[in-house]
Amino acid sequence: MKIVLPGDEILDRPIHMENTFVENNKTYTAVLAMLHDDKLIPLEGLWYPKVGDKVVGRVEEDKFSIYEIDLNGPYSGLLISKFVKSPLLVGDIIEATVKEIDRYNTIILYKSRKLYGGKLISVKPSKIPRIIGRNNTMLKQLIEGTKCNISVGANGYIWIKGNNIHLAIKAITKIAKEAHTGGLTNRISDMLGVKNGETTTNS
Amino acid sequence: MNDYLKELISSGLRSHDRGNFDYREIKIKSDVIKTAEGSADVSIGDTRVLVGIKLDVDEPMPDKPDEGNLITSAELLPLASPDFEPGPPNPESIELARVVDRALRSAEAIDMKSLFIEENKVWSVFVDIYVLNYDGNLFDASLLAAMTALMKTKKPIYKDNKVIRENLNEYLKVNNIVVSTTFAKIGDILILDPTGEEESIMNARYTIANDGNNIRAIQKGLYGSFKEEEIDNMVEISFKKYNELKLLIENATK
Amino acid sequence: MEKPQLIVNGLRLDGRKPDELRPIKIETDIIKNASGSAYMEWGNNKVIAAVYGPKEALPKHTGDPEKAIVKCVYSMTPFSSLEEHGRSGPNRRAIEISKVTKEVFENIILVENFPRSEIDIFIEILQADGGTRAAGITAAAVALATSGIPMRDIPYAVSAGRVGDTVIIDLNKLEDNYSDADMPVAIAPRNNEILLMQMDGGLTREQFKKALEMIKNAGKVITKIQREAIKKPYEDLINKYGAKYE
Repeated sequence: MKIVLPGDEILDRPIHMENTFVENNKTYTAVLAMLHDDKLIPLEGLWYPKVGDKVVGRVEEDKFSIYEIDLNGPYSGLLISKFVKSPLLVGDIIEATVKEIDRYNTIILYKSRKLYGGKLISVKPSKIPRIIGRNNTMLKQLIEGTKCNISVGANGYIWIKGNNIHLAIKAITKIAKEAHTGGLTNRISDMLGVKNGETTTNS
Repeated sequence: MNDYLKELISSGLRSHDRGNFDYREIKIKSDVIKTAEGSADVSIGDTRVLVGIKLDVDEPMPDKPDEGNLITSAELLPLASPDFEPGPPNPESIELARVVDRALRSAEAIDMKSLFIEENKVWSVFVDIYVLNYDGNLFDASLLAAMTALMKTKKPIYKDNKVIRENLNEYLKVNNIVVSTTFAKIGDILILDPTGEEESIMNARYTIANDGNNIRAIQKGLYGSFKEEEIDNMVEISFKKYNELKLLIENATK
Repeated sequence: MEKPQLIVNGLRLDGRKPDELRPIKIETDIIKNASGSAYMEWGNNKVIAAVYGPKEALPKHTGDPEKAIVKCVYSMTPFSSLEEHGRSGPNRRAIEISKVTKEVFENIILVENFPRSEIDIFIEILQADGGTRAAGITAAAVALATSGIPMRDIPYAVSAGRVGDTVIIDLNKLEDNYSDADMPVAIAPRNNEILLMQMDGGLTREQFKKALEMIKNAGKVITKIQREAIKKPYEDLINKYGAKYE
């Protein structure tokens, strides 16, 4: 395992993966990352929208037949109004799924659901996989330990609702900061007072 | 008032370890820029402000021929926030500079007569406020930085029509320490030292500058209003905070 | 003021040899709101660099449907020089530096990944002592590397110059004022591609070659400092907790 920096060679054959580039038949990382067994894990990286990604966003414009959704990046998501169950207002928070993307990165969303109340926070998209965890283990721990509703978007927006929002934010901030270290799951369970999926203390 | 705001107010605006009238962690460092005659770097939470002081020889104002000049300006650097745009000074940066200026001037923080050099020549003191990271409450951070920088400002020497800026020993004469306390009003709730997020939902803002004995400057901002009882409360808290803030400045300028 | 002797007995006025760099320190993540940021001390220069984006290009018509546009603002605070209080607002020199700096980063950022968007780079010189554009570019490269914005390489920059017959590296302000040539250069070290080069004064072809060689040697030192600064926060946590293996 080693830390690689933008421009470092990671493979001596050309492979096209996210966050890399190919030059002279070799593959290089384009971002700060960890390299482990030929696998590149970005330490810092942006969201590259893919069909099927679950996102969280905020309605920023209502343009007759389309809602424009702020997705924490340069591209708004577009939600076609007639497929939305009840009308949305500017400022509403939703979760949705990416339906289509074109080559200009226009993002079409569908399967939207309004999220009521709560708070929206932003984290760097490269940290999202660690916040969810393998088989959702970290996310389940967060929800159990804070008794909050939490919806995590691949785009870096996280929606939190409940009585312990500050604790949830503190835990998420810690996960983002230490995402590349070992033993994080246990440190977070200690912080939240969760053990084997059961709450042991009042957080 | 939107859903999120209502919920935030009912669940308690701030996290359990910070009360409505507590400051965030304040860090002050002086003498950080060697090319300036005085300087200070202040953080309140994640808000960070740098102040540089320069002195130049100038003409006095016609109505005050035996006093120096104070010129205060502020830059909301675009690098400090995604909401700050490059360009000429906007009303927010002008207001910030003018409020800090009024506090310093009214409190007579600097001994203006000590800036007199000879007939028609005085020192102009340039106070430049540079916001490096915005997370609310630029007023208090800027005044703390300006006050700290002034206390460690060295006066250049004027000799044979030239300004000498090396090997200086004499400090600028500072007579008074003035600080400010800034409050935000959210719904009906008053809080001290608002964060950027709290400022984004506040309907009014109130800044009081005091020197421990007198109120020296006040600025009310935004479209909301205050009741008299609220103002009495904020004035009292402002005086209570004076010693705490003054001590931070003194520790940074020992 | 009459021209000072800049080199005495083979040493420069600050004690450096002709090919010696001033000390450089870099710290990352100092502007919380930015996507990436760095604070740098290079000799007596103090510089902050911050990167924002990619974000929507505004006004929309300035965006490019095929790639991200890169904007750069280089500026100096009015208290950054040892002389009198500077004037506010960008002057012509700052505008030119902003332009050539932008051109460095337009080259190495993978702009095709983000059509219609904008990436903003800010360089603020808090304290100046010669070589500020090189310091700004070197710091901005670090800020960019920590932002997650994809890039092909981490560029560095440094100036070279001439005093009499001696080619020197990394001119401070005094040397800059009185030297016989001044040449700031920015290089993408992986393939030694030159991304910025400016020069004024006079250099023979041999002196020019010597200057470039000194720049590349200095580049090895600068690159090492940049890389350590970028890795440091992550390595510190790995030392504390161990690394994660998938």
